[in-house]
Amino acid sequence: MKSFNPEHLRNLEASTRRHFLKEVAGGIGSFALAGLMGCGDNKLMGNLLGENPMAVRPPHFPGKAKSVIYLHMAGAPSQLEMFDYKPDLQKLHNQDCPPSLLEGKKFAFIRGVPKMLGPQARFEQKGQSGAWISENLPHLSSIVDEVAFLKAVTTDQFNHAPAQLLVHTGVPRLGRPSIGAWATYGLGSENNDLPGFVVLTSGGKTPDAGKSVWGSGFLPSVYQGVQCRSEGDPVLYLSDPEGINRELKRSTIDAINKINGHHFEEFGDPETATRIAQYEMAFKMQISVPDVMDINREPEYIHQLYGTTPGQESFANNCLLARKLVEKGVRYVQLFDWGWDAHGDSAGNAVDIGLKDKCRSIDRAATALILDLKQRGLLDQTLVVWGSEFGRTPMQENREGKQMPFYGRDHHLEAFTIWMAGGGIKGGTTWGETDEIGYYPIQGKVAIHDVQATILNQLGLNHEQLTYQFQGRPFRLTDVAGKVINEIIA
Amino acid sequence: MNQLLFPKFKFSVVGVVVCLAGLVAGSCSYLQPKVSFNEEIKPLINKRCITCHGGVKRNGGFSLLFRKDALDSTESGKPAIIPGDAEHSEMFLRLTHSDPEERMPYKEDPLTKQEIDLIKRWIDEGAEWETHWAYLPPKSDGSPSNKKSFSGFFDFNDFIQNPIDDFTYAAMEANDLEPSPEAEKNILLRRVYLDLTGLPPSADAMKRFLTDDRENAYELVVDSLLASNSFGERWASWWLDMARYADTKGYEKDASRTIWRYRDWVIQAFNQDMPFDQFTIEQLAGDLLPSPSNEQFIATAFHRNTMNNDEGGTDDEEFRVASLIDRVNTTFQVWQSTTIGCVQCHSHPYDPFRMEEYYKVMAFFNNTRDEDTEGDFPLLREYDSVQSLQVNEIVNWCRSKNQKDGDEVSLFLRTLEPKIHPHRCDKFVNGSLMDNKWIGIRNGGSCRILAVDLTSKSHLLFNYWTGHKGGSFRITIDRPDGPILTAGKLEPTEGQKAVTVPLDLSKLKDGVMVRDLYWHFFNTSIPADRSVCGVEWFVFQKPLPLADPVVSAKYLNLVNAKPLSTPVMVENPTEFRRKTFVFERGNRLVHGDEVKPEVPAALNPLPKGATADRLGFARWLVHPSNPLTARTIVNRFWEQLFGQGLVTTIEDFGTQGEQPTHPELLDYLAIKFSVDYKWSVKKILKEMVMSGTYRQDSRRTDERDPSNRWLARGPRVRLTAEQIRDQALEISGLLSRKMYGKSVMPHQPDRVWQTVYSGESWQTSAGEDSYRRGVYTFIKRTSPYPSIMMFDGSSREVCLVQRVRTNTPLQALVTLNDPVYMEAAVAMAKCVVNEKSPIKRIAGIYQMATHKQVSMATLEVLADLYEEALLNYQSDPEAAFKVLSCNSDSAPEAALSVVALAVMNLDEFLTKE
Repeated sequence: MKSFNPEHLRNLEASTRRHFLKEVAGGIGSFALAGLMGCGDNKLMGNLLGENPMAVRPPHFPGKAKSVIYLHMAGAPSQLEMFDYKPDLQKLHNQDCPPSLLEGKKFAFIRGVPKMLGPQARFEQKGQSGAWISENLPHLSSIVDEVAFLKAVTTDQFNHAPAQLLVHTGVPRLGRPSIGAWATYGLGSENNDLPGFVVLTSGGKTPDAGKSVWGSGFLPSVYQGVQCRSEGDPVLYLSDPEGINRELKRSTIDAINKINGHHFEEFGDPETATRIAQYEMAFKMQISVPDVMDINREPEYIHQLYGTTPGQESFANNCLLARKLVEKGVRYVQLFDWGWDAHGDSAGNAVDIGLKDKCRSIDRAATALILDLKQRGLLDQTLVVWGSEFGRTPMQENREGKQMPFYGRDHHLEAFTIWMAGGGIKGGTTWGETDEIGYYPIQGKVAIHDVQATILNQLGLNHEQLTYQFQGRPFRLTDVAGKVINEIIA
Repeated sequence: MNQLLFPKFKFSVVGVVVCLAGLVAGSCSYLQPKVSFNEEIKPLINKRCITCHGGVKRNGGFSLLFRKDALDSTESGKPAIIPGDAEHSEMFLRLTHSDPEERMPYKEDPLTKQEIDLIKRWIDEGAEWETHWAYLPPKSDGSPSNKKSFSGFFDFNDFIQNPIDDFTYAAMEANDLEPSPEAEKNILLRRVYLDLTGLPPSADAMKRFLTDDRENAYELVVDSLLASNSFGERWASWWLDMARYADTKGYEKDASRTIWRYRDWVIQAFNQDMPFDQFTIEQLAGDLLPSPSNEQFIATAFHRNTMNNDEGGTDDEEFRVASLIDRVNTTFQVWQSTTIGCVQCHSHPYDPFRMEEYYKVMAFFNNTRDEDTEGDFPLLREYDSVQSLQVNEIVNWCRSKNQKDGDEVSLFLRTLEPKIHPHRCDKFVNGSLMDNKWIGIRNGGSCRILAVDLTSKSHLLFNYWTGHKGGSFRITIDRPDGPILTAGKLEPTEGQKAVTVPLDLSKLKDGVMVRDLYWHFFNTSIPADRSVCGVEWFVFQKPLPLADPVVSAKYLNLVNAKPLSTPVMVENPTEFRRKTFVFERGNRLVHGDEVKPEVPAALNPLPKGATADRLGFARWLVHPSNPLTARTIVNRFWEQLFGQGLVTTIEDFGTQGEQPTHPELLDYLAIKFSVDYKWSVKKILKEMVMSGTYRQDSRRTDERDPSNRWLARGPRVRLTAEQIRDQALEISGLLSRKMYGKSVMPHQPDRVWQTVYSGESWQTSAGEDSYRRGVYTFIKRTSPYPSIMMFDGSSREVCLVQRVRTNTPLQALVTLNDPVYMEAAVAMAKCVVNEKSPIKRIAGIYQMATHKQVSMATLEVLADLYEEALLNYQSDPEAAFKVLSCNSDSAPEAALSVVALAVMNLDEFLTKE
């Protein structure tokens, strides 16, 4: 059965629930859910066994945010055409880049002496706060007073995959847990019918670093992000095999759980009790996931607000899904939108052509997400983060020393923009400033680990205390660095 | 900790004698036993002091990590500890200081009176340090020190099968526990099958065993399992997690890598029972053995399983170093249960390893030819039989002229090493290092090749490609306009091609043989913005065999052949040797002192006669005096069979790890394995599975030892990702027993692979290749096979010594909905369809899956399910048709398939009981 009718299924679920399940479920309570797992205390892996690893756990201190929605623009959009207004760069347009900016630097593609490239968009100041924002983002312009801009974020990785890994796992190599995994490990999940950490992708491809950017690394795999898809099964293996309908699936799970219940009595293995609970949840997920992933039943004004078209994989649809997911208590929703690289080797990759189209594809939806969360009273408890793995150079790219056919910019590590809204963030602020051409930070420089520390802080987690013992030592997301950016906290 | 096995107090004999004398006089200060550093002081220091006074921070110039440091002068100019005199030792005084600014631990709660008293006594007794248990060599006389004349109502003769049981029984007794009875025969057989071969027994094997009354029936089965081919497949799955074996290179592009020959080598090594010391040496240094075989080269792919970054613009040296660091860390994880990774940046916070020692170990590994190139070089080239004859012919001809040069020719034909990669070039004029990988120079442009040693060289051999006629090149010495060393034409190629040109060494008049060279390219007929050609590698070679035109042609043919090629280790020749430096604070760009290869001082010294290279290092690891290797490996075997190690932190034997639950058993097994059994994996595994401890029933009869530390019941753990799938295929008769070869791509849901830039896709394997054992499934690091991952498999990015077992709803979705399980269910239904009654069919399915007689209660539940499914399919034949893959619409068969699917989701099916 490939398509679900959630209404019908909900009724079925209620009517076919059998009496013995309640008994078994009662039994599980005492074994499976006993005790809470303290953060950072995993000395014996046995602590995890027999407990529900997704049970809600208290934060280190009361956090403002309960959930995070992280919008990652994979490929690195140009801050110089969106947020970081540099009129002086226009004056230098088409002049040779001064050697001082090139000496000792290594670029991904720039070779020799490139030309400077002036901003390819008009900027205006908006809102009470007077934030500068470009014409490429007309919708976001209307809500800048909700947003805190970090304009001097730096990184030390100039290739997409390692830089994305640094942003999401704290190190530029594979093998570490992602922020969403850390967050669900620290706090558990508020919803028992849905995964605690959901990933949604758009732009036709997964991010350069692959699924590792939402992996659980050395944390138990239960904390890895679950990719929910708009096409195919919304979660892998979610639909029943051909020829098995819901009633029969219900009966099958009932039979499995009943026999497992007998088995539990005989062997006394708490893992068996956990398994009974997990089969129940699997059955519920088969209904709840397609249900939450179905945006058809959203009212027309919501579709208008986001610019959504049901049935396709798009950033707009994913924003609406993100709102639905946090509304249901999902802890961490990670969006990746692919296709922001802008080297100028094609029109789609040009900062004055393709970038405008990409901006158009996210501007309305990202704005709608904030407005929609606000009108539902969810913005205060939901941290929305928008960002990427690095920024773009003020110089025009000249790959292999050659003139590119279109205006493009190379990868830039020294300064780029990330913004946050909601979840206890001070709206209408700008922290960090770059020099007159947007090359180096001159004030308020923050590192990737600082951004991560801030996200955890808003969830009530101390990034230095959220640790996991692996290979004989405690590991944490921010490694040995990270400082909460208090300047943007309300 | 078991106090009986690991006595807490060591009575000082002198103390007791003096004490007895003292008693006569009516007073005695020696009543207390001597303080134990390892058990009383070290844990206290680790908990309360080491954070500020350890390997990372040494506040006040005081560190408690090594005795030498601790007794040294501190910043105050005085030592903090004066052995034998606590009253004058600053350490003791600071613990009791009245000024809170002075009192230690700083700004923390004070130590308890009892703890302070311990420290005082310890200093008074001489402040002795003791070596941590894991760094002392294992010792055993073959039986527990407190072996009892087993008495009591328990009939221990049923339990004690071999010396292992003496140890576990002693520990049980000390903890007031009794062994469980032996598991029922069917349960035991399934357990030992799954443990040794990863597969359940067949119905026939079960029947034979149940009816075999011979005394040694179980042993005979164990022997046959150890001798079966499946044994190697099962244990390879275990080892490959540690080897981080995968079929792709990792990072952004994550393109495929052909390295399955290594996986097959591991399977064969286990099946041949290659002694573990040899297994170690061949993997770490097979290439350095005398006249290494192809197999010995392939073994070294162990450390070529590191990731390789092909992304445009990446610095190859950065990722070469990342691989190097991974090799050091992995080696210590796998063989030493030691977390040496910390020591990259600072001395170990808890364990006796100093920072420079990390880099001394790194120096062993820092001279291999691999340099993070896209070609994954060096590759071992395995020629076909005809080509191999040609290789031998050329090599023999060369050896007849000059033995050493002949050896070099042999290495070159087998590995195309040592060659030079384009990233060694700089000063690009009108051209660039294309994508940081290839030389791409436009008409009239050039680049510099830094410091080439031309001693005894006569030819340039290089690999290039171009589609254009009219290209040429020239190499000049010292300067772009310097004397010409060589020049030649660049004929258009089909794909890439290696060609050779002679060098004119007469131009090197001054006799200086190491020179910078400038490589110029020309082609006036192509557009100005096009490269003349691409160059992937080049090498300056000696006259043999290129000076002889006939042999040279054959030689070039072989160089241009495309045989099966696998990444392996090749050591740098002298002219390519790298120096190793300490990286200040772990930063590879900030070099500290140069270091030479050396093993950590806390462990055994490099054996006499061992060379200071990977081979010497590998011999050091398996030398009888290494305290960690044998313990580490037997602990991992134990974990595989019993679900947890005798040291539960199987990744860490350091002071932060857990103490062994059965230290004497661990040592007994380590010595048995490495000495008595001469590192035979099969023999030590046999000893373990033959033990009464292993054969116990796994029912939890009381709550006194919930985690089964004291082994008073048998193991009960969920099966691994591979075992779960293999088992379903095996019992339904779908499993292919085909061994070895390229990794396979069984069905996976659409749109799982969406990798950027690689253009590769998942091509579902045809025929039996879709039903191979899990160990043969293609593993893509950034998008691993989803159902394996959901059951806690490794994505093989880094070394994983233990899979954490989780229990999640996504696992239920796999075994309920992954089409392979439905397929297996349908196949099972077919097997029983000829049984007489539905009840017999249901019971048959249950028995096929679990090897148990179905109980009445279970049968009732399954029969209810069958009835419901039957009614459903009778009224909806189309659904039955779908269940049965459009081969039939038989309602009973479809209903039985549903029952089979349910059975494959039972806890008892998914668990080793």
